[in-house]
Amino acid sequence: MAETFFSEEFLQRLERLALAARHALPGQMQGERRSPKRGQSVEFSDFRPYVAGDDFRRIDWNAYARLERFFIKLFVEEEDLTVHFLVDTSRSMDWGQPNKLEYARKVAGALGYVALSGLDRVTVTGLGGAKNGAGVVFPPQRGKRQALALFSFLQALTPPGNGAAPNPGQQLRAYAASHARPGVVVVLSDLMHDGWMDGLRSLASGRHEISVIHILAPEERNPQLNGDLKLIDSEDNLEVEITADYDLLARYRQNLEEWQAGLRAFCSSRNISYVPVETTLDLDDLLFAWLQRQGVLR
Amino acid sequence: MNFLAPGAFFLGLLLPVIVAFYLLKLRRIEQNIPSIYLWRRMVRDVEANAPWQKLRYNLLMLLQLLFLAVLILALARPFTWTQGASGQAAILIVDSSASMSATDMAPTRLEAARQRARQLVDDLPDSARVTVIEAGGEAQVRLSSSLDRRQAHLAIESIQPGTGGSDLGVALELASAIAARQPGTEIIVLSDGRVTLPERLTIKGRLRYLPFGLNGDNQAVSLLNLEPAPGGSGLTAFAQVSNFADTPVSRRLALYADGLLVNVYDLTDIPAGGQQAVLAEGLPYNTRLVEARLEGNASQPEGGDILALDDQALTIQPVADPLEVVMVSSGNLFLRTALSLLPGIQLTELDPSQLQPALESTPAATAQATAQPTATAASLAPLTLPAADLFIFDGYVPDTLPDSGSLLFIAPVRSTPFFTTTGLVESPTPRALDPEDPLLNNLAFDQVSVFESIEIPLPDWALPVIAGDTDEGSTNLLMRGTTGGRRVAVMTFALYNSDLPLNVAFPLLIANLVDWLAPGAGSPIPATLPAGESLSVSAPEGVQSASITRPDGSTTQLEADDGRFVFSDTSQLGLYEISLQQGESTQTLPFTVNLFSPQESNLKPADQLPGLESAAGLSGSLAQAGQREWWRPLAFLALGLLVGEWLVYQRAALARLRDLVRQSLPSLRAVRTRR
Repeated sequence: MAETFFSEEFLQRLERLALAARHALPGQMQGERRSPKRGQSVEFSDFRPYVAGDDFRRIDWNAYARLERFFIKLFVEEEDLTVHFLVDTSRSMDWGQPNKLEYARKVAGALGYVALSGLDRVTVTGLGGAKNGAGVVFPPQRGKRQALALFSFLQALTPPGNGAAPNPGQQLRAYAASHARPGVVVVLSDLMHDGWMDGLRSLASGRHEISVIHILAPEERNPQLNGDLKLIDSEDNLEVEITADYDLLARYRQNLEEWQAGLRAFCSSRNISYVPVETTLDLDDLLFAWLQRQGVLR
Repeated sequence: MNFLAPGAFFLGLLLPVIVAFYLLKLRRIEQNIPSIYLWRRMVRDVEANAPWQKLRYNLLMLLQLLFLAVLILALARPFTWTQGASGQAAILIVDSSASMSATDMAPTRLEAARQRARQLVDDLPDSARVTVIEAGGEAQVRLSSSLDRRQAHLAIESIQPGTGGSDLGVALELASAIAARQPGTEIIVLSDGRVTLPERLTIKGRLRYLPFGLNGDNQAVSLLNLEPAPGGSGLTAFAQVSNFADTPVSRRLALYADGLLVNVYDLTDIPAGGQQAVLAEGLPYNTRLVEARLEGNASQPEGGDILALDDQALTIQPVADPLEVVMVSSGNLFLRTALSLLPGIQLTELDPSQLQPALESTPAATAQATAQPTATAASLAPLTLPAADLFIFDGYVPDTLPDSGSLLFIAPVRSTPFFTTTGLVESPTPRALDPEDPLLNNLAFDQVSVFESIEIPLPDWALPVIAGDTDEGSTNLLMRGTTGGRRVAVMTFALYNSDLPLNVAFPLLIANLVDWLAPGAGSPIPATLPAGESLSVSAPEGVQSASITRPDGSTTQLEADDGRFVFSDTSQLGLYEISLQQGESTQTLPFTVNLFSPQESNLKPADQLPGLESAAGLSGSLAQAGQREWWRPLAFLALGLLVGEWLVYQRAALARLRDLVRQSLPSLRAVRTRR
C-alpha cells in the first residue's frame, strides 16, 4: 500500500521533516516535543521551593549548600503531540484534474507520516461523510508502524453517495467540542461551503494550532466555460444559470481572488495558517518548500 | 414620403418574432461542476447589477428590432418628390455659351448649371440612362446613353465655358432624335435662355427647362471700329457701349492704342437697353491695335458687371489694300458710276479695241459665233490684261481669259470655257429665285424689265440667282458659282437692253456682286470677327500653308484647300495673326475676335425658351417630377446597425482584445524606451 502511495525514497526524505508547532502543546505520553508541563527530561527549566511530598531525589543540593534551603530542580517535560487531520471528503472535493481529494489524501498521508515519524499522535477524520456528521475516523495512533494503516485509511476515504451534504460548520464544532486537548489541526478542504468559516471559528476558540490547506483545482481557478450554461452543483444539485463570456469569467476570477483574500484575512485574524494550494502544485514543492515557508513544517 | 414597394411592410410581422425569441427561455447546456458556491457568489454580484445586465441584453434586442425596421423601410423603397428627373432616361443639355460665364450666380452660371446637372444625375433612378449634350458654339454629345454615373460626372465636368453662342437648336434636335429611340426620355435644358431656336422645332420626349441667372446687369462694348479719318488726318476709333441692364448706368470706357492709354471716357446714364458711343479722333496713322475696355465707373473705377468677356474689345486698322478691278467695256457709264461709288476699289478701264486691234466685227454680230477668226497681223501690239482681283467683261470676251481673279461676264458675246451661249431670248421676265442669296441682299428685282438676253444653259458649277420667264419657258438672267477656285458670275443681258441701270437695285446689285466676287473688299480678311465664326482667307498665289497664332500664343498650321484657308477655331477672344509664307517674305494678317453679340451680352435670364412656350410636351420648368429614392442611406443605416449589433454581441471578444492590447502596451512602451 505504501508503495503505491509514496515511494520509499520519498518517505525517507519525509523523515527529515518535522511538524512545527508554534507553541508548546500538552501531550498525553512521553514524546519528543516540549510540553508546557515540567517533567523529566534533561533540559533544565526552573527551581521551586521544596514542599513536603516532593521527590527528594530532585532536590538541588548545590543550592542547599549555598542557601541552606531546599529547592527542587524542575525540568522541561517532553511529550507527544496530537496531530489532527481533517480531510474534506465532500463530493465537490472528488473533482478536478488532478483530483482534489486525491491531492488532499497525499498531503494528509505525507504530513501524517512526518508526524508519525516524529513520535506524534496522528488522527484523521474524513469530513463530509454522511454518517450523522461524525465522519470517518482514524483513531489517534503513534509510531511509524502505523503509517501503513494511516495510508490505507486515507486510500479508503471516498466521498459519500447521494444525499444531503453535511454542514462542515456543525462537524467542526462537534470536533472542537470532543477534542478539547490542544493539538495541531490540519484542515484539507476546498472550503466551498459557508459552514467552514463557522467551523474554523469554533476550532480556533480551542487552543489548537490550525493550518488550513485550501485545495483548488485548476479548473476552479480558471474555468473553461463558454456559452449559455446551466451549472449543476455536484453536492446538492442546485443550479445556477450563467452566460459564460469573457467578462463574466474575468469577474469570476476576480471574485475568487477576493474570496481567498477574505479567507486569508479571516485566518490570520484567528492565528490560523492559511495555505492556498492548487492541485497542479507538485507534492515535493508543497512539502519541501511551500509548507516550510508557511511554517507548517520545519 | 411615398413608397414604391409598400408590400415590404408585411415583413414587419417579423418584428414580433424577434421579441418572441427573447421571451422564449434560452435553452442552456447543462454542465456539472463540483460546487456552484463561487458561482452563487457571482450571481449575487450579477443580481446587484441586474438593471444594467438586463439593459445590455435588451440593447441587443433593440438593435435587432431597429435593424429589421430599417431594412423593411429600405425594402419598401421610400422616395420623395424632387425637382429632378424621373424618366427612364434623361438628356441633359448644358448651355456653355458666353452668357453662361456671367457671375450673377456664384461662381458662374455655368458652374451652377453643372452643379445642378450633377445633382440631377445623382437623383436619377439607377436604371435611367444619361446623355449629356453641351450646347456651345457647336452642340457636342459628351456622353451618350450611359448608366455609369461616374462617366456622367466626368462628362459634366468636361463642359467648359465657351465664348460663342449656343447652338441649342441642334442640341435639341440631337436630344429629340435620342428621345425618339428611348420612350420615357426627359430632356432637361440647363441654360439662361439666351438662345435662338429654329422655328417649328418639334421635340420628342418631355422637355424641361431649368433657367439659370438672376439678373441682367451687364454692359458691353458692342462695337469697335478703326478707320482712316475722312480728311486723312490720322485714324478715328468708334466705340459703342450697350447697357443691357434694366436701369441706366454710368460706366467708364478706357481706350488704348497699341497698349498705351489714349483716353478715358466717363459714360453717364447709359439708358436701359440703349447705347452710348465714343468717337476718338486723331489717333496716329500707324496705330495698329486699338483696345476698348469697360472699367467700372467714375466713382468705382474697380467695379464691373457680371460678364467680363464683353467688357473688352480689340480691333485693328484694316489692311488698306485696294481692290483691283479691271473692267473691259466699250464705255459703260452706269457700270463705271456704280463701281466708282464703291469704296476701296481701284478701277482700270480698258477698251476691247485696246486688247484686240484687229477687231472687225461688232460684238452683236458675233454673238452666235463659236470661234473668233484668227487675228491678222496688227499694227499695234495688243495689250495684255493686267493682274487684278476682279475682271469685268462687258459685252466682250477676250481670247484668253486671265489665269487668276474673279470674273464677271455681262452679256458675253460667245462661249467661254465656263459656259456656252446658245441664242437669244426675247423679253424674259426677271424673277428672283432665292431672296436669301448674297447677290440679292437688300434689293428687289421685280420692277426690272429686260428686253433681250443671251441664252446660256446653266453650267454645272453655277447657281441660278435670277431667272427670266418667257412664254416658252425659263432662262437664266444671273448666275454665280465657284469653279477652279475662282468665283464667276454671269449676267446674260446687256445693261442697255434693260432698265436695270435706271433702277435703284442696280448700284446695290453691283455692290453685292463685287462683295461676293471679291470678298474682303480690299482687305483679305475682316478686321474683326464674332467669336465662333470661321475665317476664310483666299490664298495668294503659290502659298499653300499658313500658320495662325491665337491670343494665348498657341499656333496652328493651315493647309490651303481649294485656294482658301479656312480657320474655324475662333473660340478665344483677342488678337489673332495669320502668317502667310510666300517665298522669302512673310505676310502677316492680323484680325481680332470679339464677343460683339447682343444675344450673349443680354444676360436677362429667360423664363421660357424662346419659341418653345407652346411646343408640345414642354412641362412646367420647376414641376416636382423627380423621385429621390432613399433606400440607399437606409440600407447603409441597416448595415451600420448590423455591425453595431455584432459588436455588442461580440463584446466579450472585444474586451479580450482590449485587455490584450492593454497588456502588450507596457511591453511595447518598454521596448521603445529601451531603444
